[in-house]
Amino acid sequence: MSRQATVVVTGLGMLTPIGTGREQFWSALVEGRSGIGPVKSFDTSNYSVHLGAEIEGFRPQDYVSELAPESIGRSSQLAIAAARLALSDASLDLNKIDLERAGVCVGTTSGEPHFIERFDDHYVQGNLANVGQEFITRYPCHVVAGHVAGELGFGGETMMIATACAAGNYAIARACDLLSAGKAEAMLAGGADSFSRITYTGFARLGAIAPEVCQPFDRKRKGMVPGEGAAMLLLETKEQAIARGARIYCEIGGYGLSCDAHHMTAAHPEGQGAVRAMRMALEQSGMTPEDVDYISAHGTGTPTNDRLETIAVKRTFGSQAYKIPISSVKSMLGHTMGAASAIEAAVCALTIERGEIPPTMNWHEQDPECDLDYVPNVARRHKVRVAMNNAYAFGGTNSSLVLRECMA
Amino acid sequence: MKRRVAITGMGVISSLGNSSAELHSALCKGDTGLHKIEGEAFHGFQCRQGGHLLSFQPETFLQGKPLRSLDRTGRMVAAAATLALANSGWSRETLSQRDVGLVLGTMFGSVHTISEFDRRALVEGPAYASPLDFANTVINAAAGQAAIWHNLRGINSTIACGAASGLAALSYAADLIRYGRQTAVLAGGADEFCFESFCGFERAGLLCAAAEDGEFAIPFDARRNGFALAEAAALLVLEEWEAAQARGARILGEIVGHGSAYNPMRRRQNGGSNAIARAIRAATKDAEISPGEIDCVSASANGSAVIDKEEAVALNAVFNGKGSQIPVTSIKSMLGETLGASGAVQAIDLIESLSNGVLPGCLGLDKTEADMPDLDLCRGPRKLQAGCGLGLANSVGFDGHACALLIART
Repeated sequence: MSRQATVVVTGLGMLTPIGTGREQFWSALVEGRSGIGPVKSFDTSNYSVHLGAEIEGFRPQDYVSELAPESIGRSSQLAIAAARLALSDASLDLNKIDLERAGVCVGTTSGEPHFIERFDDHYVQGNLANVGQEFITRYPCHVVAGHVAGELGFGGETMMIATACAAGNYAIARACDLLSAGKAEAMLAGGADSFSRITYTGFARLGAIAPEVCQPFDRKRKGMVPGEGAAMLLLETKEQAIARGARIYCEIGGYGLSCDAHHMTAAHPEGQGAVRAMRMALEQSGMTPEDVDYISAHGTGTPTNDRLETIAVKRTFGSQAYKIPISSVKSMLGHTMGAASAIEAAVCALTIERGEIPPTMNWHEQDPECDLDYVPNVARRHKVRVAMNNAYAFGGTNSSLVLRECMA
Repeated sequence: MKRRVAITGMGVISSLGNSSAELHSALCKGDTGLHKIEGEAFHGFQCRQGGHLLSFQPETFLQGKPLRSLDRTGRMVAAAATLALANSGWSRETLSQRDVGLVLGTMFGSVHTISEFDRRALVEGPAYASPLDFANTVINAAAGQAAIWHNLRGINSTIACGAASGLAALSYAADLIRYGRQTAVLAGGADEFCFESFCGFERAGLLCAAAEDGEFAIPFDARRNGFALAEAAALLVLEEWEAAQARGARILGEIVGHGSAYNPMRRRQNGGSNAIARAIRAATKDAEISPGEIDCVSASANGSAVIDKEEAVALNAVFNGKGSQIPVTSIKSMLGETLGASGAVQAIDLIESLSNGVLPGCLGLDKTEADMPDLDLCRGPRKLQAGCGLGLANSVGFDGHACALLIART
């Protein structure tokens, strides 16, 4: 069962509604800053909700140099920026690796939604003649990973994993398997999504968007807040990282993936699939429930998600569940869709490095059905040797990733 | 320890039949699944050829539950899963005892569902958007719907590598089995034919200039000028060898290796054949064989001016000048380009070809251009030499993805 080689995280890059790059992001996170505000990228006046979590002031030309920034969509731009930040964080000299064995694995919910939205605008205005070649050359989601590889000159296995809101974890899991099987020597893995009208409309129609505040696990929580973002992790084998003297954040202990096979948009009422994913991740990493020091929750802030996620954690961890700090950074970042679990994996890596856990903000009142330790409102000093990153998605897809301290 | 990957079942929904045997027989007869695309929306397009599956009746394959919540792509995938699971000998009971996974390759998911959902909100207002449709706008919707329909509780993933998605999904699923993550996975690909993608490809100048009946895209041919868009869903049941034997499954073939590569210079129109060759070499290395041991090739070529030639150059390079001794075909000459499904359909027909000893030809292929490398391109069905047991399915995407899969006869 054990993989041939241990995979470690040596670089982190992220663009989020609360900050760009490791230090800016982390300080915002532990200070509990919010990236949520009124939606600016399109007019929401005919919607009943108006909150979103967008990235402001992003300048693609600061990161995209080999490709023409204006020739690619925003998700690609964000993913490239995150990739550049991760590479520089990892101090990886691209001249010293075999670029044909360097690959890219990106998770997403919508890919490049702005191009289909523009197509639809033309369609409803009766202007289909205005649809140009850019629709098909920039829209299909596989182009996002391709653009990252194209910008960096990577020629290894390059793919998009489109498992919606769990996609970041899926992408990291796939990259790990490629590295441990010796099929790549460096992988950029993560997730990216740009703010989408289609996604916003859908969640609004489901009544899932919080009208005023995102407060995961609070008794009065009313919903999630759609957002955008990107995060990339540079993954390599432990052996290579040590040989090149890289700073190692943590290792990937294992992963668990499963499907509820129950409902497209609602989790299983007893959290069956989520429990299987957590157990598989623990088993694969050779860990027991007692070993886990922190859980980064999916924690969207919808009444149902947070309740069922709590049930699943309790079923997996038993009485130990009450002793493990759990937080939802979505209380600050909103739900960055396919990027979310990649950003949260980076959060886990940083909690291991820094011994501090970010808070669940806007938590005021305990819900009898959500009675675990959600690290309310204030970051907490806490030694984290083993972190579990949970993410769930439409289609009943579940994912758990175990990240742990890397022993020399 | 690397486990062996057995193929124990195949399911296909295509314009040339809904079983691997029907598909293979139609391909060997030289039938075409392409036809003239009717409808006002398509007027004025340079290309009027396509492989729209007009006869698909989901109720034939999906019974006992309401179909309303599944869109067309979801129905095609769930139907292909019905066929593959039945072909492999899985029943409702055995599926309830084991966690079977599903890895689907797709280029678009359903761009039609996504667009229709958005357009309704634009025209009628966001309050009138359909929540049912919203669930199907995520790219992994079809994989989720098929998992619900068939109670597939294992790893459920959706891989997008453009037209290479199907083989990328099979490669990913094969690794899940090899490295002990799952013991049984349904894997393959799907994409539907719809106005939105047709319009997009037409505007990008990628479709063949074929307006009349009888005109179609011809892979590798000197006259080629684009591909014909089509649709299909194809899934294979992959199982850990010993687990397959233990349950008494019939083993149809084995995935012995795969390789993937990306051409980062795609946007600069350079290096395509290099990435394709790297993917094939990676597959042979993975399978611990030499390229000369490959007995036949199901190529990705779909009639595209540039990419077909890049693939030919790559095959010739990999076979080290001996390309003229290895039969190569392209079934897209009859099926059209089914995008995310294409690699999985090729894999299914390759298994039929290896077990029947006949490789379908490349329909309509006459002359290749003068500087096309020397390959043994099959112009009609080709009887394979006795002992032929190793086939290469090759996929090349429009945007730099290359994926190769090696399948052995059992």
